[in-house]
Amino acid sequence: MGEYLLEVQDLKTYFKVKAGRVRAVDGVSFSVRSGERVGLVGESGCGKSVTALSIMRLLPKPAGEQAGGSILFEDEDLLSMPESNMRQIRGGKIGMIFQDPMTCLNPTMTVGKQISEALRIHLKLSNEGAKARAISLLDQVGIPAAHERISSFPHQFSGGMRQRVMIAMALACNPKLLVADEPTTALDVTVQAQILELINGVCHDFGTAVIMITHDLGVVAGMTDRVVVMYAGKVMETAPTEEIFANPLHPYTLGLLASVPRLDAVRQEQLKTIEGAPPDLLKPPPGCPFMPRCAFARAICKTMPPLTAVSGSMQHQKACWIDVTDPSQQAYAERRRQARAASQQAALAAFAETTTQSGDQATVPDDAEHAEKEG
Amino acid sequence: MDVSEQLSLSSFDEEIEPFLAETSELVQKRRSQGRIIFDRFMRNYTAVGGAAFLILLFIFCFVGPYIWHVNPNTVNVLHVKETLANPSLTHPFGTDDVGRDQLARAMAGGQVSLIVGLLSMLIGIGIGTLIGALAGFYGGWIDNVLMRITDVVLAVPLYLLLFVLSAAFSDGKPQTVILIIAFFSWTYAARLIRGEFLALKEREFVMAARTIGANNFRLMFRHILPNAAGPIIVNATLLVGANIITESVLSYFGFGVQPPNASWGTMIATGDSFFDVDPWLVFIPGLLIFATVLSFNLMGDGLRDALDPYMTER
Amino acid sequence: MDFPPGDFLILGCVCPLVIVTPEVSMGRYVIRRILQAIPLLLLVSIFMFALIHLMPGGPDQVIFNPHLSAAARAQMRVRFGLDDPVPIQYLKWLRNALTGDFGFSFTTNLPVLTVLGQRFPATLELFGSALIFALIFAILLGVVAGVRQRSITDYTLTTVSYFGISMPVFLFALFGQYIFAVALHWLPASGITSVGYTLAPFDAFVDGVWHLILPMMVLSILFIAAWSRYLRSTMIDVVKQDYMRTARAKGVSPLGVLMRHAMRNALIPLVTVVTLDFGSIAGGAVITETIFSWPGMGQLFYQSLEARDYPILLAMLTLSAFFVVAFNLLADILYGVLDPRIRYA
Repeated sequence: MGEYLLEVQDLKTYFKVKAGRVRAVDGVSFSVRSGERVGLVGESGCGKSVTALSIMRLLPKPAGEQAGGSILFEDEDLLSMPESNMRQIRGGKIGMIFQDPMTCLNPTMTVGKQISEALRIHLKLSNEGAKARAISLLDQVGIPAAHERISSFPHQFSGGMRQRVMIAMALACNPKLLVADEPTTALDVTVQAQILELINGVCHDFGTAVIMITHDLGVVAGMTDRVVVMYAGKVMETAPTEEIFANPLHPYTLGLLASVPRLDAVRQEQLKTIEGAPPDLLKPPPGCPFMPRCAFARAICKTMPPLTAVSGSMQHQKACWIDVTDPSQQAYAERRRQARAASQQAALAAFAETTTQSGDQATVPDDAEHAEKEG
Repeated sequence: MDVSEQLSLSSFDEEIEPFLAETSELVQKRRSQGRIIFDRFMRNYTAVGGAAFLILLFIFCFVGPYIWHVNPNTVNVLHVKETLANPSLTHPFGTDDVGRDQLARAMAGGQVSLIVGLLSMLIGIGIGTLIGALAGFYGGWIDNVLMRITDVVLAVPLYLLLFVLSAAFSDGKPQTVILIIAFFSWTYAARLIRGEFLALKEREFVMAARTIGANNFRLMFRHILPNAAGPIIVNATLLVGANIITESVLSYFGFGVQPPNASWGTMIATGDSFFDVDPWLVFIPGLLIFATVLSFNLMGDGLRDALDPYMTER
Repeated sequence: MDFPPGDFLILGCVCPLVIVTPEVSMGRYVIRRILQAIPLLLLVSIFMFALIHLMPGGPDQVIFNPHLSAAARAQMRVRFGLDDPVPIQYLKWLRNALTGDFGFSFTTNLPVLTVLGQRFPATLELFGSALIFALIFAILLGVVAGVRQRSITDYTLTTVSYFGISMPVFLFALFGQYIFAVALHWLPASGITSVGYTLAPFDAFVDGVWHLILPMMVLSILFIAAWSRYLRSTMIDVVKQDYMRTARAKGVSPLGVLMRHAMRNALIPLVTVVTLDFGSIAGGAVITETIFSWPGMGQLFYQSLEARDYPILLAMLTLSAFFVVAFNLLADILYGVLDPRIRYA
């Protein structure tokens, strides 16, 4: 086996819809080493879940189609494998847990049966053997009275418990890789930490590599060795976790990190956002997808930058033409931001004028009033 | 390096445009709600086909007699050769045992069948909506009583009760048939609408309307009912088809429309005795019934698909 | 064959369930539903009784030979209890009915239950075979169509189901008769047996089967249409569920996913629908039996209607309502038992 357990190379996944093809994943590459924990980060709709489903070849048919690239798992291309081989890998070598444990478990089957199913298929255990192992798995994931709960139905568990069951199910056959698609998003905050700890612990014990898909940077900080930042179906930046928090080099990553509210920030300061909206993936604009929202953008950004290693660190790669650490670039970006803010306020003032002229009782946004007072 | 040269050379002003201009392309064209539903309906070819057939059928039945000037009731017993005739140019649908032209009868019968179907549906839906709305909105003992009544009517198998009622009260006139069929049409609609009202009355817009002083009546019919319109429309369309079937069954067994008023059901009844000699007498009205009901069903399903994902966005 | 009195039947159906279901809550639920059903049935019987008696040409005008003298007529009225006010008549009838005495048929003078009992086996044969046939077909069609949308099976199902629900049953029967009996001569046109022959047992059996095929298929078309459509839409909903994806993510084979995960969830609602439809057995297939001259309860109903045989009509209306209500209850119970979310709520 090569250096990597999993190598995603230029993956392209499109969805056929009436209006055309949605390019959900458009040239994504990253790799995972054995036992490594990789975080796949990005906002909703950036293609992280689709990447995960593509790895498992669980795309919804007939809409989803693999349009290119390869996924090497233990040096075999998953995308060109026959389905029967893929079925052995699913659950056996690669496990997956999903976002909503309520809907992801079969309501008419006992929890024990659902876990045993995987055991019987991949490890060829007998019914008794499977049941015994299922009980021990439930125990390991922290479900009390496992030998009784084995014959309970999913609706008899709480949300956190159900997710533990899912984890038990996914790790039942000791897979080499666990793909976790936003496993804590649907859970209470108090339970989130527990589940993450559990995943961390169990995967550490078994030596399972993890791909943690999330939009929550807090989860990434605590749980991952490396981070892959995605936007609009493409990888923007990838680096070891500490590096990406300490030294983000892509404007999008900068925006993401800046938007996280900090406890030590000045109070009553406006929250920072990334302006604009993600592009329409039916007709993605050519070049860098982040360009319309990027303060650093230049004419050259109309060509998509390749994912290149940053000087001084082979592990850290970014897909950007601009060097955001360069002070002249930063000044340029600042000028653009100010110009944008000014034109925004001018537009708001114009709007306020027209509405007060027409005698409407429209509430004028505070910004405009504020801006007008400030001149 | 190329990149830095490009960066330093580019002017400041021309860079501003892409920053703002790109985002405007993201705004999509909006269509009105009705238009969206209409478009969705039109994409369903079978539904559109059904609707088209119904339009043609209505023209056939109601405008047809003005074009095909043959009296459906003229009897022609003298020329026996012309009775039980197969379709020909003079009689495109053939003739029956007493020489009446089947095409004219098909039109006349169609008028009756369609009107019976539609009117009984309207009355049934009307009653059902009223009952369902009252039951669902007020709840409590009103709901209990009304639903008990619905259960009683539903408890007996439809055709048994229908036959008994029509044997008792039917006098062969379409009006009575309409009432009898309407008597059974309201139950499903009542249940359906009650369910919708139960769900909808907890929504915020109802509370909002209450706070501005809308009385119960207004709430029910101006606010909640339009939101429940989707399933009602679907149910109504499917109900017409079902009622046409019911009417034809009743007429066939002699309990519904009777001569001299003709309907497709009575045509089959008269033709039944001569089935082996002249199957057209049964086939033609039978196929007409089938095609009509099929069209209503297709249209109803098409409406359901067009309305459903939109209306039930809870 | 003697038809067991109604109330024993309901107890017989329900007792085993009450005993079998271990959960106290389920037993309580059943008892509560039964208690709710009783006033419903009473209401229905009142409704039916009132209807029959308020019909123009009510009981007293009917049975009597027009040549009867006035005195004889008066005697008959007393004998049939027609002199009492209607509510009293109802109470008398009800009291008798609860012990199984539904009076005597006007046309044959036999006890009503006996007449019904004579007719029941034929209806059971027709209805039962139609239901089983329809169930098998509907499941096959519905599952395949739901899983493979836009396949040939799916289009077949859609066509068949639209046929089934758009064509009145009697028309189907007539067409079926014409095509298979008259034109093709493959099957007998009507009746339950070939009349006028005494056949050897095996021949008699085959003869019965031939006679059964056409009415059974006509009757089952309606069920196939409705059930397969329902199952198809349930399957489509189930296939979209997240747990199907989880099952595939575990590496379960497509067949395993279908059988263990999809069908288990999709068949539960279907059980409810089938049970409800089974409840209309006492109504019989009036139309089908009449057209095919099948000597079952449906044909009896039609004949009684023509002959104004009110005791039979009343008994049939009430009993069929009873069956419908009983099977409604059964459907609810079954759904509660089969769906773990309700059973272990």
